[in-house]
Amino acid sequence: MSGIIEVTNLSFGYAAASPILKNISFEVPPGTFLVIAGPNGAGKSTLLNLICGALKPQSGEIMLDASPIESYSAEALAAKVAVVRQESMPIFGFSVVETVLMARTPYFSAAGFESQADRAIVNDALELTDTARFAMRPLTNLSSGERQRVFIARALAQDSPVLLLDEPTSFLDLRHQVDIYDLLKTAQIEKGKTIVAVTHDINLAAQYGDEALLLGMDGSFQHGRTSEVFSAEHIENVFNVQVFAGNIGRERFFIPLGKLAKDNRQINPRPNNNKS
Amino acid sequence: MNKWRWLLLIITCWMAAGFALSSARQGQESQAPALPSRADRIVSMAPDLTEILFALGLDEEITGVTQYSDYPAAAKEKPNVGSFWQPNIEAVVAAKPTLVIVLGSPQQKNLAERLKRIGYKTLTVNLETVNDLFKAMAEIGTATGRQHQADELIGSVREKLKALSSLVGDEAKVKVLWVVQREPLRVAGRDTFVNELIELAGGENAIGPTVHKYPPIGAEQVIISGPEVIIEPDMGQKDPAAQRDAALRYWSRFKNVPAVTNGRIYVIPGGAVSRLGPRLYEATETIARCLRPRLFEN
Amino acid sequence: MDQLLTPKKLITTMAAALAVLAVVMFACSLVGSEKISLRAVFDGPGVQAAANPDYEIFVRFRLPRIVLACLVGAALACSGVVFQALLRNPLADPYILGISSGAGLGVMIAVISGLSWTLWGRSPIAVFAFAGALGTVWLVWFIGRLTGKFHVTGLLLAGVVVNAFFSAVIMFLTSIAKSEQVHSTIFWLMGNMVEEDFLVLWIGTGCVVGGIVAMFYISPQLNALSFGDEDARSMGINIARTRTVAFAVAAGITAVAVSMSGLIGFVGLVVPHAVRLVFGPDHRRLLPLSGILGAIFLIIADTLARTVIAPAQLPVGVVTAIVGGPVFLVLLVKHSRNVGGFK
Repeated sequence: MSGIIEVTNLSFGYAAASPILKNISFEVPPGTFLVIAGPNGAGKSTLLNLICGALKPQSGEIMLDASPIESYSAEALAAKVAVVRQESMPIFGFSVVETVLMARTPYFSAAGFESQADRAIVNDALELTDTARFAMRPLTNLSSGERQRVFIARALAQDSPVLLLDEPTSFLDLRHQVDIYDLLKTAQIEKGKTIVAVTHDINLAAQYGDEALLLGMDGSFQHGRTSEVFSAEHIENVFNVQVFAGNIGRERFFIPLGKLAKDNRQINPRPNNNKS
Repeated sequence: MNKWRWLLLIITCWMAAGFALSSARQGQESQAPALPSRADRIVSMAPDLTEILFALGLDEEITGVTQYSDYPAAAKEKPNVGSFWQPNIEAVVAAKPTLVIVLGSPQQKNLAERLKRIGYKTLTVNLETVNDLFKAMAEIGTATGRQHQADELIGSVREKLKALSSLVGDEAKVKVLWVVQREPLRVAGRDTFVNELIELAGGENAIGPTVHKYPPIGAEQVIISGPEVIIEPDMGQKDPAAQRDAALRYWSRFKNVPAVTNGRIYVIPGGAVSRLGPRLYEATETIARCLRPRLFEN
Repeated sequence: MDQLLTPKKLITTMAAALAVLAVVMFACSLVGSEKISLRAVFDGPGVQAAANPDYEIFVRFRLPRIVLACLVGAALACSGVVFQALLRNPLADPYILGISSGAGLGVMIAVISGLSWTLWGRSPIAVFAFAGALGTVWLVWFIGRLTGKFHVTGLLLAGVVVNAFFSAVIMFLTSIAKSEQVHSTIFWLMGNMVEEDFLVLWIGTGCVVGGIVAMFYISPQLNALSFGDEDARSMGINIARTRTVAFAVAAGITAVAVSMSGLIGFVGLVVPHAVRLVFGPDHRRLLPLSGILGAIFLIIADTLARTVIAPAQLPVGVVTAIVGGPVFLVLLVKHSRNVGGFK
């Protein structure tokens, strides 16, 4: 499995005069779990859309396995990159399994039907995301969280080396949040997939990500190992909020502190690691 | 070869086969035996055509007429093939016609096209003017092998009209307002066959030239036109006397119109005057009686 | 997994539907304002045209009319399915993007200008209706791209604009036309079935069936497209090609249908909806079944149109509206309840 993503000097803005991303460069080696974080409007989803070819950069280049993204046909790109976006509203009442099966469309026979192999892949994906038990139900009859898992299953069914996810846990309860990240991590470890996840949740990102990309509002970015990028200082600068950083075992966590928090006194901006 | 190429290939072959088959069939049909020219089962698609056919003595041969073919009385017994506006082509075919006669309106011409396409013999005639009528009678006579009767009929009508016109002589033309509908008020204009009847009867239309054939007019135009005679054809209502009463009441408000002051408002039978047919002379004479009643008192 | 569509299931369902269609075609060919006997039909044509009226009526009028109803019904239903997928709206119909006003304008121009040239001897009205329909679709597609908006929105906006403008032009032409011309135009526009000749039916069959097969080929892509352009693209669908083929073919067979029989509404709206409710949204099954059901629906509607007030005939569009309107209302209420989650 390959799937090396190389981003070089990427700049992009929806209006030409105001770029959101300025000269960003980074590389994602195969089999890495990269988390992309940053405040609203920093360009996280935009970057994801650029990487999967939905948007064209104003300058710079994005290469996938040493070929530019633009050179891939839709089918060839789908074989390498699967995308899970934020919730999309289903118009027609497709069932869960029908939806996941659509990921295999490029592999259908000439008559337009799936093969046994396709069905096996779909079954795997359903099992992995714990959605097999309502495989026959129409999407409209599921909760938001269940639906989100179905879309992840669909991306898994594409059987691609790279998985891009835009806030995959935004509608999920605590249990399912870790379940999904466990699932993604398992896919990375067992199948060698490259995972790139945009997330609002710093803590989960710190827990699971190998590498992190922190985007700032001014177009700045930091890229590197998660433990280096996610520090209290970086987070406070980029998010412009006071943060309490702590450790549990080897896990780092960060808690934003508002002005009206319960203790209502000025909190030391550089607290010790040991908290009583 | 991928499925799209297959599809394109099959469609192309299908279309080509269609053209080939179609020209083969046309070749076949043009070799089919011609129909005999003796018209022994005739369908008439308009009431005026029915009248002409009966006048030529073809009562036995008529196998289908339209809904409002009510003259002569025998026509009402004939099988119904729909109405002039909505012909029922299946009923026409069920009548097994060897000749179908239609008028020249677009719908009827369309019907004739459909019938011709499947091998039926049709005849299209126009009945817009009196000249059309004579031509039509001659054509129908020829098509049905009744030229002799047709010539006689045409000759007799022409003679009677000539006699009428010499009876009327050089008297000044009487101004006539021909009212086809009272509410709203609608009259026959100069571009109609009714106008020709009026002129043959020694009258002239009170209304000048108009854009529409049967224009709706307002009260002022009635007064300006100053008709000497007002004629209303009865539209098949039950009681002509009741219609005359209603007419007198309606017109009484036009106190300045000569026809009203002189009480010259006539309600005449609508049958003969609402279509161009063999009763042309009877229709014209009825009108002439309204225009110059003294002339007919002997 | 067992509920998924397989080739075998699809073929069985279609065979059953086709059997129903055959029965309906046969039954309706024996119904009409004139009574005909089947035995007499089998006696074959007489030596001359007038000899065997049962045969004439059956072969020259009933059968061509039923075949035409079959073609037009299938074409409208299938293009309705595709437009609903393309516009991601289960309430779209084939006329939503201006085909109806374009065809109407074409017909009015043909009638008023009195042009009489024909294409292989067919009346100018059909040709102008076809040209009007296709020309309008192309115009809407072009304007839609100009607006630069998200594809579906652009198309819908362009469709609204073009419809409004062409309708105004039609009203203007109607006001200056002679009453006879107006009458025949309106009558044509209300939808009517006339027995067409062999070549027209043959070519029409080729176009409609070919179009339906083409749309079947892209049914898996239409399934994916219903989740939105971006999701479909991520799954490997060539959305530009799918959209172009779908739009062109659907518009094409609608134009063919309209040129043969005028504007018949509700078939393209109600039939796909009904089939989707019963058989599910998978386009590989939805498309062919809608075609067959559309054919059945229109054959029955046409049979009613020519027998209910016999010997006069109702325009078919009136019957489909009377039947389709209430059915559509029921479907609408039921559908909105089902999609409860997002409203």
